[in-house]
Amino acid sequence: MASMFHFLIPPPTWRLPAAIVMGAIVGLGLYTFRISNAVSYLSDRPETCINCHVMNPQYASWFHSAHREYATCNDCHVPQTNPVASYAFKAMDGARHATIFTLRTEPQVIQIKDAGAAVVQENCKRCHARVNENVHTMKVSFRMAQHDQGQLCWDCHREVPHGRVSSLSTSTYARVPRLGSAVPPWLKNIMQKDKE
Amino acid sequence: METTKKRSPWINWTIFLITVVVVFVLGMLASTIAERRVETEYIYTPRVQLTQWEPRNEVWGENFPAEYTSFMNTRDTSFRSKYNGNATIDMLEVDPRMVVLWAGYGFSKDYTQARGHYYAITDMNNTLRVGAPGIDEPEPMPATCWTCKSPDVPRLMNKVGITEFYAGKWSRWGEEIVNPIGCADCHDSKTMDLRISRPALIEAFERQGKDITQATHQEMRSLVCAQCHVEYYFNKDLPGKEGVQYLTFPWDKGMQVEDMIAYYDEIGFSDWTHKISKTPMLKAQHPGYETWITGTHAKRGVTCADCHMPFMSKGGQKYTDHHIQSPLNNIANSCQVCHRESAEKLTEFVYDKMDKVITQRDELEKMLVRAHVEAGHAWEFGATQKQMDPIQKFIRHAQFRWDYAAASHGAAFHNSIEILRIISAGMQEAQQARVELAALLTTIGAPYPVPYPDIETKAKAQQYVGLPMEKLHADKQQFLKQMVPQWEEAASRREEAWEVVYY
Repeated sequence: MASMFHFLIPPPTWRLPAAIVMGAIVGLGLYTFRISNAVSYLSDRPETCINCHVMNPQYASWFHSAHREYATCNDCHVPQTNPVASYAFKAMDGARHATIFTLRTEPQVIQIKDAGAAVVQENCKRCHARVNENVHTMKVSFRMAQHDQGQLCWDCHREVPHGRVSSLSTSTYARVPRLGSAVPPWLKNIMQKDKE
Repeated sequence: METTKKRSPWINWTIFLITVVVVFVLGMLASTIAERRVETEYIYTPRVQLTQWEPRNEVWGENFPAEYTSFMNTRDTSFRSKYNGNATIDMLEVDPRMVVLWAGYGFSKDYTQARGHYYAITDMNNTLRVGAPGIDEPEPMPATCWTCKSPDVPRLMNKVGITEFYAGKWSRWGEEIVNPIGCADCHDSKTMDLRISRPALIEAFERQGKDITQATHQEMRSLVCAQCHVEYYFNKDLPGKEGVQYLTFPWDKGMQVEDMIAYYDEIGFSDWTHKISKTPMLKAQHPGYETWITGTHAKRGVTCADCHMPFMSKGGQKYTDHHIQSPLNNIANSCQVCHRESAEKLTEFVYDKMDKVITQRDELEKMLVRAHVEAGHAWEFGATQKQMDPIQKFIRHAQFRWDYAAASHGAAFHNSIEILRIISAGMQEAQQARVELAALLTTIGAPYPVPYPDIETKAKAQQYVGLPMEKLHADKQQFLKQMVPQWEEAASRREEAWEVVYY
């Protein structure tokens, strides 16, 4: 281990250029971090989900639903069993979404995948269990539904909460929070003053 | 600190190169993120000034690249659904019975499934139905046939007048009409609003007491299609315009198949006289709009464009996909916007409906072939017109219903129940014709039953109805070699003189 570490330390003559190059990489990494709003992904804020504009229709439909008052995106779409499961699921889903978005391979109609549907079903039951204690369907899991042993919540409640008509082009002009400029306001102010 | 080992230089070089690659890729990633952050901010900057009747789609394309590029996809001919698609399909080869049903009419010569809008002009020049003007005279078709083929049509109508446009023979406008169906057919060039450019639809609305300018935007997303994808006929007896084949929609009594039959019967119109049964026949064109409007999707407010030209978002910009085509080739962007089932399942639903409709349609078709052949025999054995009148009426109505079901293409999906109703009523009439024919043939002492003709293939069927196919093909080839290049040259000379003004 120690020899490994030694191997990475450059010889004295190389230290200055190595430091500059490493600085460039870290700096560029930080810049990427900033413009991709990377830190926001640790939070539960729904605005995080529209860092990529393909989710704007989902944000807009949620924003106009009753669920807005009680549930964020993550309350339904991320497992709430324990923090490890939450972050693991979020990381996996997020990495997949980021890759698809970066490669511009998003489909026109985004549909939930099986893993996501299983999570949502459990989260419906998590909040609505009390209200619907005596309703048999509250016992149905995604796996059971797949084997025709019951219906998922949204097989009947089909409008909840995103509506039934959805594609990248639905509610394109909805007024959702915008990302705005990546340049911090103080820098903008300085530049503005310079111009004057 | 002292380093004990000297590193060999290639390790340093490798580290250097890896760093270069990493920084480069990180930079690229950062710039795509920056790009995708801002791509929703869009400012429309037109490049050229469009004149009101600009027929050249590529000129519009300068201002609307996304729409134009998708329109150009109508060049695709690789998609075949179970029964249709955008490939060239020789329908008479698929179903030679049609040759007998249309005996004596242009469709028995050639009926090829139309390809995408991009091919509107080419496919029309190619079809045997328009004959070979300049090679074999007199030519069979009137100028009116161009009406739906090109944005040059509204340009010409605006220049020479509507009635004058319809007057004369088809080849009259060969030099003038060269741009395939496109932008100016449906759009106003100043506002880009949807616009009705064909008078027949406006006039049909007026006769029904409706004002088409009051249509909502959502209605217009179907009405622009209804300029052409409807049942129509050429009226030769319009007061003051006698002799001109004036394009007219038979909607005055309503838009159901029965309303149209009543309309045609009242004015005593027929498209042609059947070669075998001597029946005054009606040809249904393509009542796509009239059948769609009766269906579930129409009743829920879903328009033609919603499925055949669904909205797309690319790079954060929303636009309408102008690749007009069968939604079966685009299920993910059309059906699945509302329906959550898998593409396979949705296709299965549609094919199931089509299978059922087409099975019944084929049955009616066989009955009609028999009815025509039996009527032909009755004539041979001395039946009188008076005896044939009621029989011909049944044949005329039954075949119009069959044609209505067949030519409305998508109607098997748009409203399968309505189409099956039309077919079953047609069967009733065809059967009635055959019952009366059986009685008549026995009365006049003709042999019965009449054998079913050998029409296994298109060639056999065309021989049976007596078509000189070799001559028709030879004339057509000569026409395509001699006349069409002349037309195209004259057109390009004209268009070169039109200046395109850039901003």
